[in-house]
Amino acid sequence: MRNGTRRWLRPLAAGVMLIAALLLAACGGGGGGIEGGDDTGQVSTAMAEGEPSGTLAISNWPFYIDNKTVPDFEKATGISVKYTEDVNDNAEFFGKMQPLLDQGESGGRDIMIVTDWMANKMYDLGYLQDFDQEAVKPAMDNLVPALQSPSFDPNRDFSLPWQSGMTGLVVNTAEAPDIKSANDLFDPKYKGQVEMVSEMRDTVPIVMMADGIRPEDATKQDWLDTIEKLKEASESGQIRRFTGNNYTSDMANGDAIAVIGWSGDAIQLQADNPDIQFVMPAEGCSLWSDNMVIPVGAPNPTAAYAWMNYVYQPKNQAQITDYNYYFSPVEGVKPYLEKINPEAAKSPLIFPTEQYTKNCATQTDPPGSPEDVSEVEQAWQAVVTG
Amino acid sequence: MNGESKPLSRRLIPYGLMGPGLLWLVLFFVIPLYFMARLSLESGTLETGFKFTWEWSNFSDGLSTYDEQFIRSFIYAGVATLIALVIAYPLAYAIAFRGGSWKNALLFAVVAPFFVTYLIRTIAWTTILSDDGVVTGVLRTVGILGDDGRLLATPTAVIAGITYNFLPFMVLPIYASLERLDPRLIEAAKDLYSSSRAAFLKVTLPLSAPGIVAGTLLTFIPAAGDYINAIFLGSTNQHMIGNVIQGLYLNVRDYPTAAALSFILMAVIMAAVVVYIRFAGSEALMGEEEEAQ
Repeated sequence: MRNGTRRWLRPLAAGVMLIAALLLAACGGGGGGIEGGDDTGQVSTAMAEGEPSGTLAISNWPFYIDNKTVPDFEKATGISVKYTEDVNDNAEFFGKMQPLLDQGESGGRDIMIVTDWMANKMYDLGYLQDFDQEAVKPAMDNLVPALQSPSFDPNRDFSLPWQSGMTGLVVNTAEAPDIKSANDLFDPKYKGQVEMVSEMRDTVPIVMMADGIRPEDATKQDWLDTIEKLKEASESGQIRRFTGNNYTSDMANGDAIAVIGWSGDAIQLQADNPDIQFVMPAEGCSLWSDNMVIPVGAPNPTAAYAWMNYVYQPKNQAQITDYNYYFSPVEGVKPYLEKINPEAAKSPLIFPTEQYTKNCATQTDPPGSPEDVSEVEQAWQAVVTG
Repeated sequence: MNGESKPLSRRLIPYGLMGPGLLWLVLFFVIPLYFMARLSLESGTLETGFKFTWEWSNFSDGLSTYDEQFIRSFIYAGVATLIALVIAYPLAYAIAFRGGSWKNALLFAVVAPFFVTYLIRTIAWTTILSDDGVVTGVLRTVGILGDDGRLLATPTAVIAGITYNFLPFMVLPIYASLERLDPRLIEAAKDLYSSSRAAFLKVTLPLSAPGIVAGTLLTFIPAAGDYINAIFLGSTNQHMIGNVIQGLYLNVRDYPTAAALSFILMAVIMAAVVVYIRFAGSEALMGEEEEAQ
């Protein structure tokens, strides 16, 4: 036994020395590791070249497209599409992509769909490419005027809306008929049956507005106070959990009866349970857009523009709208939608009246310097990750 | 000692045989570990870039901020390991000694859930344990749960999930050590007027100790770092240290603190394992070999 042990010790020692040698070699290589974004230099333009062909990879959120648009597009253009629903939360998606994007790679993605603030952040870090305006012109021509110059991208240099929508209350009206405001979510009788999305810029303003603070006037302290209120509600068990887009499965299972969530999801959930409704909070909703962007290292921008131009044709867009029930960013969808689904064409979730959204606020960042924003974000993450 | 007289080529064989494994270990364990160690001592933010500054406060701050999740992780992992042991030992015993011709089929049944991925198995439990589900309904009817009692988003669900997911890791090593046990030893004990209970305590249990030690380690170590069960079956209040590390990496992008927490987790597990093996006696792990010689 003793002899046996010694026989095995020698190779082990040799191994340790080999490892040490390799480590020294690695140190000499100047360390590596994640360096972060101090290289925010030139933004390149993703130029279209020749006829679109090949493969197109798209990363989108769940419940965002009908099941016919992709095959139709493939038939019309001969491009094969790899459509992945791998965006569940902006911050989480960014965390997953950041190390790749920092190396100038997109993991094969040609189009990613992220919310306004995230598109802005990625652009500032140099992770996105400018559009070839010539190539994307047919789509831009059909963009509704209201979305043509958002503050973060006034000339639509690098972003094109996929859909816009409202953050508000998604309620199982059979179980909780009296929920009309975000304040009702804190009612003890709904303890443990309430959820909220883990997106800070969605959840916090809705709760804030219910307390009478308008997000556009809110101070950093207002944000922190609201986050503190949510923290207490989470620790007491009033809020069951914070989730990404997969709160929809908890609604479908009956584990949650009211959530702060997105307008279009309510419609998807109605297919299984007609009692689930989008409820406009009495104090107003939050408005946002999710945008198609082209990341650095996108292998096939030409096909990406073909996709954008395709989905921006009102006829094709109507098919998507009919499924996801969000505001369409495309001009002239209504007549086509009336043809395929007259009911949908009347829905305030797709074509809201001014009266319906009069109290709604456009989604914003917390106020202040990047450090202030980061402080608020950290406080928020402490609540949602425990 | 007779190695000296062997030709050089023969002496090199063990090194050659270890080569591939060693290379694998260096490439996929040691080098990543080195970069993690370096990262854990950096400071800065994603926007300004991370700089290597020997930032030891990542460790102390991380530990003081997330001590709650650390303690929770070890409690959940410990309880799950104990429950798994209580379930697995009789099961492995029954398969090894009473399985007969069903042995292989029973073992297959233990491993069968692994044919479905971890994630899907855990998500399936969210349906099984859901508030409107059968399990919750039955427990409410018999009064174990209150009328608005629930299982999901409670520590019970998370611990149950961990126990379920790691049970085969406990069953298989225990089975392996029981299966190898020579039944004549038990017969001999009985011939020497030992009762069944005494024979079990003095013969079977000590000889299956290596399996128990291996099983508890294989269950406890991954369970302490698990985050999947807490995500799907728990809520923020059940989050374990794995969830914190995941959140820091993916959402906050505070890579240094996340790396520091990973190292603390590794160190604590390592210390616990060393103490455990000391306590259990190293012969528990080596017992088989000694017997063989």
